[in-house]
Amino acid sequence: MEFQTVVFYLFGAIAVAAALGVILVRNPVHAALCLVLVFFSSAAIWLLLEAEFLAITLVLVYVGAVMVLFLFVVMMLDINVDRLREGFWSNLPLGLLVAAVLVVEMLLVLTGDVFRQASSPPALPTDASNTESIGRVLYTLYSYPFELAAMILLVAMVAAVSLTLRKRKDVRYLDPAEQVKVKAADRLRVISMPAEKE
Amino acid sequence: MVENYFPVFVFLVVALLFSMAPLLLGRLLGPSRPDPEKLSPYECGFEPFEDARIRFDVRYYLIAILFILFDLEIAFLFPWAVVFKDMIAEGAHAFYVFGTVMVFLAVLVIGYIVEWKNGALDWE
Amino acid sequence: MEFERPDFSLAAAEIFVAVMALVVMVTGTFLRRISRELGYALAQLTVIGAAFITVFSVDDPTVRYTFGTMYVSDWLGQVLKLFIYLSVFASLLYGRLYLIERRLEKAEYYVLMLLSMLGAMILVSANNLLVLYLGLEMMTLALYALVAFDRDNGLRSEAAIKYFVLGAISSGLLLYGMSMIYGATGSLDLGVVGQAVSLGAGDELVFKFGLAFLVAGIAFKFGVVPFHMWVADVYHGAPTPVTLLISSAPKLAAFALAVRLLVGGFFGLAETWQPMLMLLAVASIVLGNLAAIAQSNIKRMLAYSGISHMGFVLLGLLAGVTDGGHQQVFNAYSSALFYAVSYALMSLASFGMVLLLARTGFEAEHIDDFKGLNRRSPWFAAMMMLVMFSMAGIPFFLGFFAKFAVLEAVVSAGHTWLAVLAVIMSVIGAYYYLRVVKVMYFDEPMDRTALIASSETRVLLSANALTLAVAGLMPQGLMAVCGYAVLTSF
Repeated sequence: MEFQTVVFYLFGAIAVAAALGVILVRNPVHAALCLVLVFFSSAAIWLLLEAEFLAITLVLVYVGAVMVLFLFVVMMLDINVDRLREGFWSNLPLGLLVAAVLVVEMLLVLTGDVFRQASSPPALPTDASNTESIGRVLYTLYSYPFELAAMILLVAMVAAVSLTLRKRKDVRYLDPAEQVKVKAADRLRVISMPAEKE
Repeated sequence: MVENYFPVFVFLVVALLFSMAPLLLGRLLGPSRPDPEKLSPYECGFEPFEDARIRFDVRYYLIAILFILFDLEIAFLFPWAVVFKDMIAEGAHAFYVFGTVMVFLAVLVIGYIVEWKNGALDWE
Repeated sequence: MEFERPDFSLAAAEIFVAVMALVVMVTGTFLRRISRELGYALAQLTVIGAAFITVFSVDDPTVRYTFGTMYVSDWLGQVLKLFIYLSVFASLLYGRLYLIERRLEKAEYYVLMLLSMLGAMILVSANNLLVLYLGLEMMTLALYALVAFDRDNGLRSEAAIKYFVLGAISSGLLLYGMSMIYGATGSLDLGVVGQAVSLGAGDELVFKFGLAFLVAGIAFKFGVVPFHMWVADVYHGAPTPVTLLISSAPKLAAFALAVRLLVGGFFGLAETWQPMLMLLAVASIVLGNLAAIAQSNIKRMLAYSGISHMGFVLLGLLAGVTDGGHQQVFNAYSSALFYAVSYALMSLASFGMVLLLARTGFEAEHIDDFKGLNRRSPWFAAMMMLVMFSMAGIPFFLGFFAKFAVLEAVVSAGHTWLAVLAVIMSVIGAYYYLRVVKVMYFDEPMDRTALIASSETRVLLSANALTLAVAGLMPQGLMAVCGYAVLTSF
């Protein structure tokens, strides 16, 4: 077996095992960490496909940012794990049925030759840069979807702020800017008083 | 191209080995005689007051989601950093590319300013 | 592909709305004291301005492309856009008092409204799988946030979560289908995809797999059976002005999605998607009408009635697959467009009436709240009667001609049994519309407080309801516009 194939199967096995871990482990935080491992091994597989930019983006965005959010949400919701598992046995038959259908479909696809390529495309030369070829089209041919992405990020920003931001009145906090700007006169007032005699 | 990553792969394997080996060795060689008292959670010696999992404030969530948004923004700019110098040299629509990226940035900077002004970045 | 500098003037309306959304956002933040009035005024100004831009750009009926071929400017898009503007305009106007009373009137609300409209506009004139998807996401993301906007209300949050989860699944389905098609054709451009499909260049099985996912995604966005689970809960849970918007603009956008994908991209496989649509249409018309009878909440009733109306739109679309020649195909698509547009008009008026009856701390969501409306306000009771008659498809209202056009197309495509079934279900459906009329005219009012509404709302709502009657008397104008849009766009 070629070395690349070995690496592919290695990361593929890690990804599958970690994906199983996501749904099988009891602790939701561990499940989230398993998901990190899934993303990470998928990134490795993308590297094998010579999609470096996407691989790094996957690590940067999903492992770095999305999973942080996941963990916050898992912690924020304070999920009662036992309650989540209550319906497990009653839902099991339906779940198995769906799983069986999916397995049959996958087998059909994998054993058939519909999605099979005659040969893998030739490897790119060692100095080819995936990031560069994306950059050459992203800001020209794909400038319209690129700007749309900015607008969608803006939607997300407005939505997140308007749904979660609340001014709290019960918290005392210090505003450093105010602290810095304070003048002696704001704190201390020297008044002149006539001397008093006892 | 993939060959370039061989050192990274080796590094990964070595890192895994180095991080796993002490754990494994400790597990194998160290004495392990657990009893219920040892395994129970403790908080500076006394019984814990509450569950280890407490609810996080929703503000953490806001920070995390804003982080994702700007993280994505950065991800969109990487190819620009790589390719823009060459595009200027070739004169291939350099102004158009510059304009495109500036509009992208402007939209998000306006979003950022509005957010800041609204106090979404304050930690009260 | 060689890059050419795009012609921005074709997308002037989109650029204008995007800029104005940013302006509303900035003014809402920096001019807090006057931002309420200003946000509303600017949002309405944006809608009107965009409408002007669109109207002035329609003089040339040729199909033009810009941004490569990602953006298409044609009459179909312009007509749909005009009605989308109208929906947003009506939602803003009818919902103003409702928002003020519930302290929801914030600049963010208007920003999200405009961005959701922008998403719908982008979707409507997209000619590329990627752009279709991005437009759809922009529209729906903003809508999720709008549904949850009254964030301290449990009902709203629940509806938003349901909408979000199911919406995300449907977007996933759509994206999965798109990725298969991209894999099979190597192109995101709908023109190229369409050619590849009709020439059979690429594996047919992959196309069919992809198509099945696309149809499921489209059905989710239309909210037709069996992808209708979210509709009633979201309509019920959302703040009424948002429900009004969801019931109109996204349906028009979904229509554009269906036409662009199925007719524009997949006409070569029409024999495959026609039975799928048939199944969806029949299930929606039957289930929508039957479930609506059982509702006591008028928002839920209108939700189920919306499901059945969307079934009719699908009937119009599937009737276009016929070997009866061009004329019949055009008739079918223009009838579907006509139906979608008329439904949007009726839906605006019906939710407008629900908003009219609502006041501080009272939602007027139950059919019982319409009891004795005739005693409280004979004029608006009459208006509501017009709306209900039109929705029921009683002759010589707009809804009747919409149904008639669709059924005519279905019969001429040779599916007489479908038309018969649709007629029977419409007759059954008439029951729940007429029940509202009966409640308004023959029951004792539960409360006798006068209706509170601004004069603009009164005027526009009356005009909206009267349009249903007048356009019913002379439907040729609207029909001709729809026909012309379809004729010039394909």
